[in-house]
Amino acid sequence: MDEKVPRSNIIETEIPMGTVHPAALEPYRVRFFVEDEIVQEAEITIGVNHRGIERIMEGLPVEKANALTEKICGICSNSHIWNSCRTAEIGLGIEIPERATYIRVIMGELERLHSHFLYLAHGCEVLSHETFSMRIFYLREIVMELLAMIGGNRVQYGCSVLGGVRPRCDVDEAKLLRLKNDMDAVEEGLTGFVERFLADSVVQSRITGVGALPHKQAIKLAVTGPTLRATGVARDLRTTMFEYDNFDFNVITQPDGDVRSNLVMRALESFESIKIIRQAIANIPEGKVVTRDWEMFDTDIIESYIEVPRGTLYHSYALESGRVRHCIIRTPSMANIGAMKYACIGEQLTDAQLCIVQCDPCFTCTDRAIEIIRR
Amino acid sequence: MGLKSFSRARAIHVMLVYTGGCNGCDIEIVNSILSPRFDAEQYNVFLTWNPREADVLVVTGPVTHLNRKPLEEIYKAIPNPKLVVAAGSCALMGGVYKNCYGDIPSEEIEGPVENIIPVDAKVPGCAVRPQDVLAGVVSLLPILLDAD
Repeated sequence: MDEKVPRSNIIETEIPMGTVHPAALEPYRVRFFVEDEIVQEAEITIGVNHRGIERIMEGLPVEKANALTEKICGICSNSHIWNSCRTAEIGLGIEIPERATYIRVIMGELERLHSHFLYLAHGCEVLSHETFSMRIFYLREIVMELLAMIGGNRVQYGCSVLGGVRPRCDVDEAKLLRLKNDMDAVEEGLTGFVERFLADSVVQSRITGVGALPHKQAIKLAVTGPTLRATGVARDLRTTMFEYDNFDFNVITQPDGDVRSNLVMRALESFESIKIIRQAIANIPEGKVVTRDWEMFDTDIIESYIEVPRGTLYHSYALESGRVRHCIIRTPSMANIGAMKYACIGEQLTDAQLCIVQCDPCFTCTDRAIEIIRR
Repeated sequence: MGLKSFSRARAIHVMLVYTGGCNGCDIEIVNSILSPRFDAEQYNVFLTWNPREADVLVVTGPVTHLNRKPLEEIYKAIPNPKLVVAAGSCALMGGVYKNCYGDIPSEEIEGPVENIIPVDAKVPGCAVRPQDVLAGVVSLLPILLDAD
C-alpha cells in the first residue's frame, strides 16, 4: 500500500472534538482538519487525565508502590502490578515459585480476554451495531466473574505481590473446574460471534479497508501490540518472556491493518488466550504461591518489559533502602497515538472516530509524564 | 403524579462524566447500564451522552484541574430537576491521587466532586460494583419523581 502523507499546507476547516465529547468515552482532545469531509490531518492532545502516579510512587516502600501501579488503569490493572513486581524481582533476584507464575499467567490471559472483549464491544458500539456489542458484553461478564473469583474484585485484583501472588489468589480444585467450564462457555460464545460477524456482509463492507495502516508505517511509528500485529508484523513479547516458556501458542497476524483486521485480530487472539489458560489449568504445579525468602538491597535502575493486552508495557525504577526512586512507566497507548492519527488520514469524517477506536486507545494509561517547557 | 413525573418515570436518562480516574469505575458503570447481565434499561434507565436530556449525572474520578470547567459546564447544561451521583472512592474523597504531594496541596487534583458541584448520592468502592451503582441511582429516583 502507498504511504499516506499528511498535508503540510494550511487547511481551512477544523473540527475539534473534546475534551469531553459524546463520541469519546475518555476525555481527550482531537482536532480533525478536513476538506470535503475527508480528514487531511488529525491531531490528538492528551494531558487532561494527568494525575502523577510516578510522583506519588517516588519514595514509597516498594510494596506500596506496586499496589499503587494498579490505579494507573482500570482495564489492564493486573498487567501494571505484574510488571511492577517483576521489575523489583529482576533487580533483587527473587525466584518466584512455579505455581505463582502459572497463576500470574492465568490472570494475565483472563485480563487479555476481558480487554479484547471490551475492545470488540466498544468497536461494535462505534459501528452502531448494538446487537454484536451486547453479545460480546454478555461474554465479557463471564470473564469478569472469573477475575472476581480469583482476585476478589471485578477491577483491580491486586493479584501479584513481591515474590509471587497473594495467598488469597491461590486456585483450588473447585476454582480450576469452574475456570475450565467457563472457558468452554466463552469459547462457544466467541465462536458463534466470530461466525456471525464474518458472515455479516453489511458490517464487513462497513469496516473493510477503513483506517488502513501499512506495516512499514506501523514500524516507523513504533506501534505495539495487536495494532502492530494487525498490520502483518509478528511481534509479540510473550514469545520472549520466561513466564510463557511452558506454553504453546501462536502469534496471530492479520494482513491489512484496517478496522476489519484489527477486530478479527482481537477475536482470534482471544482463542489463543483460551488455549493458554487451558494449558495452565492442565499443568499447574503444586507448591506454595509466594516466597518470602529474599533480602532487600539497593539497586541501580531496573527495567522490565512485558506484553499486555494493548502492547508493550515498560516499568523502570531504582530501589534505595526499600523505596522506589526514579520511576518511569510507559504504556502501550503512548506508542499507538501515532497510529491513531495516521489511520484517520484520508477517511471520511464519520469514520474518523472508528479509526481512533481501532487502535484500542486508553488515554488514562497514557497520561503519564508531563514535559515542562520554559519559554 | 403529574404528567411530567409520569413520563419521566418511564425514561430516566443517566449521563456519565469521567473526570480523570482510572477507567475502572467508568467501564463498570457503562457495563451496569448497558450490558445484558445487569441491564438497567429494563428499569427504564438509559445511558445518554447529551447533558440536555439527562436527569442523573454520574461522576467518576478525582476531577483533575483541566476537567473542572467541563464538569461545571455539563452540570449547568442539565435541566432541572437534576441529581448527581458521585461514584468511586476518587469521586468521594480524591482516592489515592488526592494527597500526591504530601502536605503540599496538589494543584493537579481539584476533587472530591463535592467541592465543585452538589452531590446527592455517594457510591463507594474501588472500583464500584455494578449492583452498588444501580442501588445508588435507584435510591435517587423518589427525589426525581417528586420534584414536580
